[in-house]
Amino acid sequence: MLKFIVRRLLAMIPVVLAVTFVVFTMMYMTPGDPTNTILGNEWTEAASAKLKTELGLDQPFLVQFFNYTINLVQGDFGMSYITRAPVGDQLMARFPNTLKVVAGAMLFCVGVGVPIGVFSGVKPYSVFSNLTMVVGLLGVSLPIFWLGLLLILLFSVELGWLPSSGIDGFASLILPSLALGSNYMANIMRTTRSSMLEVIRQDYIRTAKAKGVNARNVIMKHALQNAMMPTVTVIGMNIGALLGGVVLTETVFSIPGTGRLLVEAINKRDTPTVLGCLVIMAVCVAVSNLLVDIVYAYLDPRIKAQYGGGRGE
Amino acid sequence: MEVKKMNEEGNTLEIKNLVIHYISEEEVVKAVNGVDIIIKAGKTLGLVGETGAGKTTTALSILNLVPEPQGKILSGEVLLQGRSVLSMSDLELEDIRGDKVAMIFQDPMTSLNPVHTVGDQIAESIEIHRKVSKQEALKQAKEMLELVGIPGERSNEYPYQFSGGMKQRVVIAIALTCSPDLLIADEPTTALDVTIQAQVLKLINELRRKYHMSMLMITHDLGIVAEVCDEVSIAYAGRIVEHGTLEDIFDNLRHPYTKGLFDALPDIEARRSELKPIKGLMPDPTNLPSGCAFHPRCDYVMEVCSQSLPENKWLSETHCVQCHLYKDTNESML
Amino acid sequence: MSETVTRKELMGETVNKYTTRKEFFKQYKKKSRLEETWNRFLRNKMAVIGLFIFVFIMVVAVVAPLIADYDTEAITINVSNRLQPPSTEHIFGTDEMGRDIMARIVHGARISLVVGFSSVAIALFIGGAFGAIAGYYGGKTDDIIMRCMDVFLCLPDVLLALAIVAAFGTTLVNMTIAIGLSFTPKFSRVVRSAVMTVRGIEYVEAARAIGSTNTHIITNHVLINCFGPIVVQVTLYVASAILTISALSFIGLGIQAPIPEWGNMLASGRAYMRDHAYIVMAPGLAIFVTILSLNLLGDGLRDALDPRLK
Repeated sequence: MLKFIVRRLLAMIPVVLAVTFVVFTMMYMTPGDPTNTILGNEWTEAASAKLKTELGLDQPFLVQFFNYTINLVQGDFGMSYITRAPVGDQLMARFPNTLKVVAGAMLFCVGVGVPIGVFSGVKPYSVFSNLTMVVGLLGVSLPIFWLGLLLILLFSVELGWLPSSGIDGFASLILPSLALGSNYMANIMRTTRSSMLEVIRQDYIRTAKAKGVNARNVIMKHALQNAMMPTVTVIGMNIGALLGGVVLTETVFSIPGTGRLLVEAINKRDTPTVLGCLVIMAVCVAVSNLLVDIVYAYLDPRIKAQYGGGRGE
Repeated sequence: MEVKKMNEEGNTLEIKNLVIHYISEEEVVKAVNGVDIIIKAGKTLGLVGETGAGKTTTALSILNLVPEPQGKILSGEVLLQGRSVLSMSDLELEDIRGDKVAMIFQDPMTSLNPVHTVGDQIAESIEIHRKVSKQEALKQAKEMLELVGIPGERSNEYPYQFSGGMKQRVVIAIALTCSPDLLIADEPTTALDVTIQAQVLKLINELRRKYHMSMLMITHDLGIVAEVCDEVSIAYAGRIVEHGTLEDIFDNLRHPYTKGLFDALPDIEARRSELKPIKGLMPDPTNLPSGCAFHPRCDYVMEVCSQSLPENKWLSETHCVQCHLYKDTNESML
Repeated sequence: MSETVTRKELMGETVNKYTTRKEFFKQYKKKSRLEETWNRFLRNKMAVIGLFIFVFIMVVAVVAPLIADYDTEAITINVSNRLQPPSTEHIFGTDEMGRDIMARIVHGARISLVVGFSSVAIALFIGGAFGAIAGYYGGKTDDIIMRCMDVFLCLPDVLLALAIVAAFGTTLVNMTIAIGLSFTPKFSRVVRSAVMTVRGIEYVEAARAIGSTNTHIITNHVLINCFGPIVVQVTLYVASAILTISALSFIGLGIQAPIPEWGNMLASGRAYMRDHAYIVMAPGLAIFVTILSLNLLGDGLRDALDPRLK
């Protein structure tokens, strides 16, 4: 198992590197002179030239990229064009907030989506199941930001139960998590349901029943683990989408996180910050993909065995 | 349908007038249309018929495992050692499944759960029915594996690590592990290579004799029937068209379909002779022919055959046939 | 009745009616399957509803200028009329600049649909080409192409689009390209797997056995059968694209005011929503209903094309 993890970690590195390269290239190709942004009113030819040398902006593209990467590995994200402060500081301050919202959403997705999916898969023709299908369809179609606004209208403005902005305390996480997670919860719910339906049709479930296994264990011991595999894959695919959606959620709920930082940075043409945010998000996605792969390998003995779980063939 | 009076004591299995249809939005599949089966203690009945004759559905009904939303048991009784399976509660069913009656399914490739070790899957049956600890169950599972010819150390492996023939042995081990009184084998060797077929068949036979089990052997292979069975029922379109002992069927067959089955066997001695298939195709269970379902393909067809279903006629104590040819006579009309 | 028709007779009779081999086979493969699929689709009520709603939205978008004049109603600021609740004159009310919300929504539909379709078209051509090549040729080509695509997969849709927007600015064309590019990796995967499934099927082997060139195989056999899953994905991605453009506009990095776009309408209305809730209802509902209808349509197509998947 350890070999598996190490291998995947190593495989992650070139991917992250490649993403960094792509994003860096895009930023590099941005028309316009960054020194304008930095110096603002104090812009003069001389100051500009001096700044360019200082920041290494007059170097060839690959050299710039190389330098950036070297610094990146050491945790140095460069200096913000606007605040002249290290980008890394800003990221460190804001990123935990983003993580909180994403974690909350994930909890909602999996904690609610999976059990409901399992139940409605087990009883596919019941009222409950049909209801979940409808809710699932609606949930998948609801735009996150609109849902966020509606939630605020209902729970903050009308009922006054929950705060509508900021991050302090558990209560303030509820609405953002709901808003962010709803799309994907619906997705996961539908996937779990259909994979459950698929698994229950299989012959080995019939074998289990023929052995006299009771109904509950047929589901919990025999069907569930098999049904979880496609679900885990879908969860993995959705994590990236969650990170995209968090930008919207932070905007709606005025949460000081990486997403909002990114938007502000784009508006202000603060390239290093933009780069920093994107790189961190990409790393997040890569790490979570790795986690998902590990969970999947744990569920499927065929994969676990390849890396030293059981006896090979 | 009439069932001749037999000695009902000691009957492991009795099925009376079983009718099962699969009902969906688009069509009704008439899988089983009035089947009677009796298996006495310690005897083996071969249920012979081509695909689609309703054999597997009949077998599933013995465990009350007919797939639920579509499969409806419209009438009939299934008595396992005198107890009605169809009216048992879930708890009672869980009790007898695996313990009093066990089934070997057709396709070993998909019958085993891919995420459990084979040892676990065998041990599960023991744990449920024998109230022993997990370790004890695993130990017995290992012994069971040895019994079917697989090294005990392999009980920690997963199904994907076994070949088709070995998987089928595991399935057999699971079925036999609690020494059921009735073993249902649904085409247990069809999915296997010919050489493995012989081994598996031999194994089933040995174990059956060892545990004094009754057996329902479902197959379309008359060769297997000859080797293993005491009595034979020939199934066509959800009905039993002929039934008798091995001799009755092999030496004294009466029904045209049975004749067709035997004629269709390639004769290895007469190498140059042409194959004689039964003309026509298996009937569509959603659209069965009127009257006797075999009449479109029958060489001896008469007018009455398309108009009404033939009654079950007993030709001797052990031999019965459903055919209009035998309305007034017991002698062979073929 | 049960006389088996020999193959020769069958071929002899019907071949004469068709001029080319292609036509002859077409009538067996495509026609009955298309009809069957269409019938299955029609039986799915939800899918049909989705189809109707979406067609309705498209019609509205096309005839938008007839419903409400662009300049006077959607753009011109009319401060005296601001923040009116829904009434017979203004079905959805007026926004903070006094503009009729319904007019803006109707014109907004044009933008959403145009961006939705064109961005998916971009993704389809580029991603589809790469995917088809990767799937068909397999091996090294496949590896290389897919590795490249995987890199892009590490950045979720919105972020990738944001990155492109950050670099190149927020014009309509840029937005469309950005969203199109952000879907390209996913699309290439879809096309690739469809191609790979088909590639294994026997009649491709048969075609190769009679000497068809690779291009011929790709266009005639492979693409025809990929058609189904691709159509489904296209529908779902158009929904995604519309969602993305409104999302980007919502955070201010998409279509800019005063051009009416459902997302930026939500953004500007947000400040007033506490006392004028209606201002965020209509635009949000517009996005929701559009996406819902497309999802229904896509699901319905998917079920109709392969009922086993249900």
